[in-house]
Amino acid sequence: MHKYAASFDSATGMLRALSRYLRGRDFPSLGQFPAAVEPVASRVLGAANRLPRRHSERAYALSGWSEASAPAKLARLRADELAEWVVGHYPRRRYPVVFVGSASGALVHLAAALGAPWLPQTLLVPVRQRGGHPDAPKDCLSRVRPAGEAMLAANPDLILHHMHDANQDRLMIAGMSYFRIKWRRLPAAYRRFLDECLDGTLVVSDCEVRWPTTRIGERYVFQHGALGGLSPQEYRLGSPEIARYLASHGSPYRSWDAPEPDGESPEAEWGFEPELMDDLRDAAGRAGNDVAVLRFPDPEALTPAVADLYRSWYASRGLPGDRLLVESFLLLEPWWTLRTGSVPYWMVFNSERSRKGLLSYLDGGEPYDEIRMALFSHGVESPGIAPIDAWQDVLARARKVGVFAGVDPRAFPRDFAVFARMHRDLSRVRTTYPMPLALPLSRVEEALGAREDVSWTAA
Amino acid sequence: MRSTGIELEQRTARIGDWSVTAWRRVPPDADGSPPVVCVHGAGVSSRELRPLVATLGEHLPAWTVDLPGFGQSTKPPYALGLTELADALADWLAAEGLPPACLAGCSFGCQVAVDVAVRHPERVRSLVLIGPTVDPAARSWPRLIARWLRNSRREDPRMMPLNAADYRDAGLRQVLAGFEAAVRDRVEDKLPHVAVPTLVVRGEFDRLAPQDWAEEVTRKVPRGRLAVVPGAPHTVPFRDPAALVPLIRGFLADA
Repeated sequence: MHKYAASFDSATGMLRALSRYLRGRDFPSLGQFPAAVEPVASRVLGAANRLPRRHSERAYALSGWSEASAPAKLARLRADELAEWVVGHYPRRRYPVVFVGSASGALVHLAAALGAPWLPQTLLVPVRQRGGHPDAPKDCLSRVRPAGEAMLAANPDLILHHMHDANQDRLMIAGMSYFRIKWRRLPAAYRRFLDECLDGTLVVSDCEVRWPTTRIGERYVFQHGALGGLSPQEYRLGSPEIARYLASHGSPYRSWDAPEPDGESPEAEWGFEPELMDDLRDAAGRAGNDVAVLRFPDPEALTPAVADLYRSWYASRGLPGDRLLVESFLLLEPWWTLRTGSVPYWMVFNSERSRKGLLSYLDGGEPYDEIRMALFSHGVESPGIAPIDAWQDVLARARKVGVFAGVDPRAFPRDFAVFARMHRDLSRVRTTYPMPLALPLSRVEEALGAREDVSWTAA
Repeated sequence: MRSTGIELEQRTARIGDWSVTAWRRVPPDADGSPPVVCVHGAGVSSRELRPLVATLGEHLPAWTVDLPGFGQSTKPPYALGLTELADALADWLAAEGLPPACLAGCSFGCQVAVDVAVRHPERVRSLVLIGPTVDPAARSWPRLIARWLRNSRREDPRMMPLNAADYRDAGLRQVLAGFEAAVRDRVEDKLPHVAVPTLVVRGEFDRLAPQDWAEEVTRKVPRGRLAVVPGAPHTVPFRDPAALVPLIRGFLADA
C-alpha cells in the first residue's frame, strides 16, 4: 500500500494483478493478503456480509477512508515518488512490449498474454474531508480545493481531476474526496524504466472516453459523476429515480448541486490525457524503440477484442476455449484466467450498461459451455446497477455450467467476501491447462489491427 | 415420516425371486411426460424421496423404488454391489413396463442411475443427478466421513429417524456393502459415456458433492447442465423438494 495511492482503485488493483502475473503469481484477495490468509479473510468478510445494512455500509466506507490522506499532507506528495512506487511493482527484465496509459481490465489481460508490463497514467489519491455531504458536490469541492491547489503547485507534471460520484461512490466519498491525478509529462521513473527494460515496442493505451468538466485551474478540473450506471446528463439534471435513491439513503437532497460544466476533458479514471504523447514518443525514439497506439472509445470497448484474441489463441493451442470468465472493475485474475483456459470478459462495473455489452458479446459468438462471473460490489443499490437476478439470467446462457465466482448473491451489492472468494473459487476449478508462452506481438497487431471497435496503429 | 398429506400408491413388482416395492404418484393428465424415477442413496431407502415424489407427482408421473436389500424390498441372501443394483433397477423398470424414464438419483443413487444409463441405455431417457457421489478427491473413508459430518449440520433433523429406520431395515451388512460399492465405483470414468441429457443438481451447502466436483460431473457428461439450489445441503429432495420441481420440469421440457 502506498501512503497516497488508494489500493481499492482500478489502476492500482490492475497494477498489482498484472505485476503479480509477470512474477508468475496469482492474485489472492486482490493482492492485499497472502494466500494463506484467504480462508480467514473469506470467513471474516462473509460475516461482514451478514451485518445489518447500516453497519456494513459503515465498514465499507471505513476500509476506504483508512487509506485517504489528510489534506495538509497532500502538499508533500511528490509525483516522482509515486512513479517510482509504480515501476517498483515490476520485475526488472527486458520486455518486448511495454504499455503506458489508460487503465482497462481488458488491457491487463492483453498485457498478460504478451508478458508485458503496463504503467498507468492515472492514479487515485483519496483525500480526507470532514463535513461535506456526498450530495453537495459544490460544497465538497470548496472544502478540498486548497489541498488540490497546493498539491498541483508542488507537482507541475500533474493534472488533477477531482471526481465526485455520489451515485456509485457514495459510501466512500462521505468522508473523502477522489483526486485522480494524471501525468502530463513522463515521470523520471517511467522514463528510466523504459530506457532500461523496453526492447521493442512502447504501446500507448489511449482510451478516448471524455466527460463534462468544470475548469478550476490551469491543471485542475472537477468532474461530476463517473462512468457506470448513469449518463453525464442524469448526474447534471437528476431524475425521479435519483431522487428516490437519495431519499432511501436519508439524504436531505433530491438532486445534486454541482458546478456547471464548461467543457469536456478525458474522463477522470479511464480517459487518456494526450499531453503525455510527445514525451512517450521521445522516450521510445531515443532508445530506438517503436511506438504503437492502441485506441479505444471507452475502457470496456477493448473487452470483446481481447476476448476474441484469447479464444483464437486457445484454439491455436488446441484448447477448447469454451469457458468464459466475466470480471468487473478490479476483480481480475489474469493468472487463473490462463490456468483454467478461460476467455476473459472484463466489465467496467456492475451496471446495466455493462450487462447489455456482455449480452451482445454472447449473442455474437459461439456459446460457452461454462460461464463464471465475478461481480464487483460497491455497497449501494445505485441507479443504473443491474440487479442480481439479471446477472443470473446471463449465467443461464452457459450450455453447461453458469456460476458466480465468489459472489454471494444474497449480499450483492454489499458483498465484501467476493474480494477473497473470487480467487478461492477460481483456484478450485478442476481441469486446468499448462501456462502458455507469451504471445508474439505480431499476433496482437494482426488481430487488433483488423478490428473496427478498437484501433491499433504504428506511430 | 415427514407428512406430505398426500397418499402415494404403493406397488410391488417381481424381478426373479425378489419382490421390489415402489411408490408412485401419477397425475390424471400426464400425457407425454416420461416417468421420473427417483433412486435412493447408499444404505437408505425410498423414504427420504417420497416427499419429492409427492410434490413432483402433481405434474408428472413420479416414482421411487426400494432397491433390493433396502427398505421394503426383498433382502437377497448376499449383499449386492453397484452393478447388481443397477441391473435390478433396469429389470424393475422393465417389470413395471415403464417407457424410457428420467432417472433421478440422489447421492449414491446417482451412481446407480449412471450405471443403468451407460449399460441399459434403452431404459433411460434422461438423468437428474442430485448431489452426485463419490468425488474422487474424497475417495477414502476418513475423508468421506469428515465431509459427511460437515454436511450433516445443515440437514433436516427430521431425516434422522428415517435414516435409522432404513439402516434397521437393510441391516448392517447391506448398509456397509452399499457404502463400499459407492466408494469403489469410479463414476467419473462412466460419465463421458452418458448419452442422454443430464441435469446435475447440487445443494449450495452440499459438502459431499462440492461445487468443483459437481462442475466436473457436468463437464464430463456430454449433454450435462448444472443447477445449484440455494441454501440446500446434500439431501436436497428431503430438505427442499419444492425447489427441485421447477428444475426437473424445466429440464424435461428442454430435454
